[in-house]
Amino acid sequence: MNKPFKLDEHPRRPRPLLSEPPAGYFDQLPTRVMARLPRAEQPAITSWSWLLQLPASLRTGLATMLVMGGFAASFWWSNPAHSATTASLDSVPQTQLVNYLLNSGARVESTDLAVLAAAHPELPGTFLHASDEELTDALDAQPADESVYF
Amino acid sequence: MEDHEILAKFQHPASRNLAFNQLVRKYQSKVYWHVRKMVVDHDDADDLTQDVFVKVWKHLENFRQDAQLFTWIYRIATNECLSFLSSKRRKFLLPLNDVGAELAAKIEADPAVAGDEVELKLQRAILRLPDKQRLVFNLRYYDEMPYEQMAEVTGTSVGALKASYHHAVKKVEEYVTQHSLE
Repeated sequence: MNKPFKLDEHPRRPRPLLSEPPAGYFDQLPTRVMARLPRAEQPAITSWSWLLQLPASLRTGLATMLVMGGFAASFWWSNPAHSATTASLDSVPQTQLVNYLLNSGARVESTDLAVLAAAHPELPGTFLHASDEELTDALDAQPADESVYF
Repeated sequence: MEDHEILAKFQHPASRNLAFNQLVRKYQSKVYWHVRKMVVDHDDADDLTQDVFVKVWKHLENFRQDAQLFTWIYRIATNECLSFLSSKRRKFLLPLNDVGAELAAKIEADPAVAGDEVELKLQRAILRLPDKQRLVFNLRYYDEMPYEQMAEVTGTSVGALKASYHHAVKKVEEYVTQHSLE
C-alpha cells in the first residue's frame, strides 16, 4: 500500500503550477484598466438648463418657431432674386464692368461679343461709338480664324 | 505609495487618475493571481481582473477605511470569481464536477504542469473542491492569509473558515492518496 499523501510534507508553492501571463502583461494592464473606466461628466460649454425651467407649451412653441424660421431662412437664401452675388453685380455700372473685362486681361472671345451683342443690341453703339458700316468694314479687315491655322 | 496616500489623492479630482493608476500597479499582480487560481484560464482571469478594478474605481469613493484596502479589493475579486463560476455553471447547465473537470483539463494542458505527476494530482484534487471551499483553501494554503483577514474577505466566521480548510485538506489528501494507487 502506498504511503498516504500528506499536504504538509508536500513542498509548498506560492501558487499552483500555471503558466505565466504573456510578457509585458502587467506593464499594459494599468493602461487597459484606465481605458475602461467611466469618464467623468464634462460640464456643458453652453448651458441650456434654463430651457428646462420653461413650461412645456412654451418649449414646444419655441421649438416650432425655430424649425419654421429655419425653413423660411433656407427658402429666402435659396431664391436667386435674393442672391448676394447678383445684387452686388447689379449695383456695378455696366461701363465699369466692360472696362474691367477689357483691361483686366480676362480673355474675351469673339463668341462672347456675339452673344453679348445679340442679348443687348445697344451695347456696341454705347461703347464703340461706331456706325454699322464702320463695324462691318473693321470686321471684314480681320483675318478669318481658318486663315490663322493654314 | 502607501494606501492612505492613494486614498487621499483619489479624493481630489485633479489627482484621481494618477492615484488609481498607482493602486492598479500596486495590486494588479495579487488580484490577477487570486483570480487566476480560481478560474485557471488566463483570458478569463484577464477579463475578471479588469472587471475587479473597474468596480474598485466605482466604489472607492465610498470605501470605509475601517477595513484594509487590500482586503476590500480581495473581497471584490472573490465575489467576481464566484459570480463568474456560478454563471458559467448556469449558462451551460453544468453540474459542479463538470466545471472542476473543465478547469482540470485546462490545467493539464498547461505546459507548466507537464511532467510533475504529484503536482498534477494535487491540482486535480483542489479543482474538485466546491468553489467556496477552494477559495478558502487557496487563501490559506497558497496565500498563507491569516484567518482573521480571510474572515473579512469572505464574510465568514473564523471558526467556519478553520473547519472548511480542515475538510478541504482532508479531501485533497484522500484524492491524491487514492489516485496514487492507480
